Amino acid sequence: MNAGYLIRELYYQKRRTLTAILGLSIGIALLVILNALSLAYRQAAHAPLKEIGADITVQRPGDVPKELAGAVFPCSAVTIRKEEVEKIRSLPGIKGMGKAVLLWVFDSKQAWIVLGIEQSNTIGPAILRSAVAEGKFLEEGKSEALLEAAYARQFGIRVGDTVSVNGSPFPVVGLLDASRAAKIAVANLYLSLADAEGLAASSPNLQSVSPFAPGDVNLLFIKADQEKITDLAASLKGILGKKATVATPDSFLKLLGSLFALSDKFTLAASLIAIIVAILIAFKTMAGNIAERAREIGVLKAVGWTNRNVVVQLLSEAVIQCFLAGLLGLLIALVVTFGLSFMKVNIPIPWDMAPNPHFLPGGGDQLYKTLRLPVHIPWTLASFAVLLSIVIGGLTGGLLGRHVAKIKPSEVLRHE
Amino acid sequence: MNNSKILSGANLSKQYGELEVVKGVSISVAAGEFICLVGKSGCGKTTLLSLLSGLEHPTKGKVFLDGKEITGASEDDLALFRRENVGFIFQSFNLIPTLSAWENVALPLFPVKMTGEERKRRATELLEQMELGHRMEHRPSALSGGEKQRVAIARALINKPKIIFADEPTGNLDSATGDAIMDILNRLHTEEGVAILMVTHEAELAKTADRLIRMHDGEVIS
Repeated sequence: MNAGYLIRELYYQKRRTLTAILGLSIGIALLVILNALSLAYRQAAHAPLKEIGADITVQRPGDVPKELAGAVFPCSAVTIRKEEVEKIRSLPGIKGMGKAVLLWVFDSKQAWIVLGIEQSNTIGPAILRSAVAEGKFLEEGKSEALLEAAYARQFGIRVGDTVSVNGSPFPVVGLLDASRAAKIAVANLYLSLADAEGLAASSPNLQSVSPFAPGDVNLLFIKADQEKITDLAASLKGILGKKATVATPDSFLKLLGSLFALSDKFTLAASLIAIIVAILIAFKTMAGNIAERAREIGVLKAVGWTNRNVVVQLLSEAVIQCFLAGLLGLLIALVVTFGLSFMKVNIPIPWDMAPNPHFLPGGGDQLYKTLRLPVHIPWTLASFAVLLSIVIGGLTGGLLGRHVAKIKPSEVLRHE
Repeated sequence: MNNSKILSGANLSKQYGELEVVKGVSISVAAGEFICLVGKSGCGKTTLLSLLSGLEHPTKGKVFLDGKEITGASEDDLALFRRENVGFIFQSFNLIPTLSAWENVALPLFPVKMTGEERKRRATELLEQMELGHRMEHRPSALSGGEKQRVAIARALINKPKIIFADEPTGNLDSATGDAIMDILNRLHTEEGVAILMVTHEAELAKTADRLIRMHDGEVIS
């Protein structure tokens, strides 16, 4: 391969070179953008769960007592027994687990959405430690309360006050900013898990429809191997019953409704089409270019270039052109994905994961997690795109080179 | 010129389908000899030149260069044979438009293992001989017809060939430029001792040759 010849050929035949590079770069850009979008939707779908440090949330629907008084479970989250929790903990693919108890407490003067949490567990609602706006977070082993700031403002409650929940007093040690909090597993009053369990266990109203003992919970947050999430979801339903609500990134993805989010097959098919289009464009443009150069190739062979010399030269030209096309495609994709990253997506939170009683004002409203679409091009995708361009260059250059090297110089030089 | 045969073709025929373009031609070229192949357009001159230079395989007959038969050689072997022994000058110059004058001259050496400096030195030397030292970096589009043909002659000489095949080398040039090109070819023949087999249909040009071969309908008639 003669580098000088290659560079001059690409430089002076600008139209040919640019057509080949532009054509292929569009195919490569399309491939990268499609995959980056698909990845972005997947990451977006993971956001509601990631906010509480989990990959899966589990709850079991059940009945609500006829009379809504004292502490009750929401109908979307009733008792998960201690033995079931231990059985779940032993499932393969589980990396960690957080537990919580979600209660609606109807006192004579006000209603509370209470969430009992494990204060030191990073899997589950305790991750909201960073959303404390005033005061401090709940301490291990202490019987204290944390209030959602807007709720506290509405009822004039301050840090240092004591609130009475179902007759039990709790000192308020901090306020939590709901706007910085997650959309699921949120409440307006946070207690220790033990205190919430105590409220649940001592509520005859709750016990009448969903027997509850200390150690039982009604919300589980699971950190799992990414590859095993689907299998785990099936196993969890096997333990808790088919009606159990098992939320995974995939279940949120389905709610998004985008073609990119809906189906791996769509992305795969679209990517394949983009690759095929890229290959066809490269092949057609280069075939045209080489046909234009038949006479030149005849001269090369007449002056003593072997077939191999010709193939290597044409192959090198094709590889360099396709490599440049890969880089340009990547650049186009970077610009487009930067633009797309300003797009916002609304991820609907299923009603059964929303903590608010639906019969209270605003409780039935559809909740959304809104976020900017996290579009980016991972280096693996970028490397794949460039590598693919080089392979396309190698294949097209090799095939066309082999074909064109068969040109007989006497045939192309004969017609002067 | 010495009398040792450098090239010979024995009973050469070339057929394209039903059409026999060259019919049982035998020809030999001595080292340093200047032969003109003349005849009307379509009489088979260029085809015979292609057969003798290894650009084309004969349907029948054999070609020997330096006593070695090249008739049955593969495409790649023929390319190597041309690279080492043969120079070509074409009517329409056939320079590569993207390469400079010196790069066009060095084109046959691109696949040969040698330094770029050595290639450029040899090309420069030849271009200076052709009085084109000042046009080294110019591309063909910036050269006149005569200059292009002189670049093509330099290219034909870069591999120090035993024989140059020239197919109507003045066909695209005006008469003054054509005469200048013929002067160069004559000088190569007389001073450098390079054998030349030139195809032309201009009888005037053929007068300078050592030998004249006339062709008609694919056959040598004198």
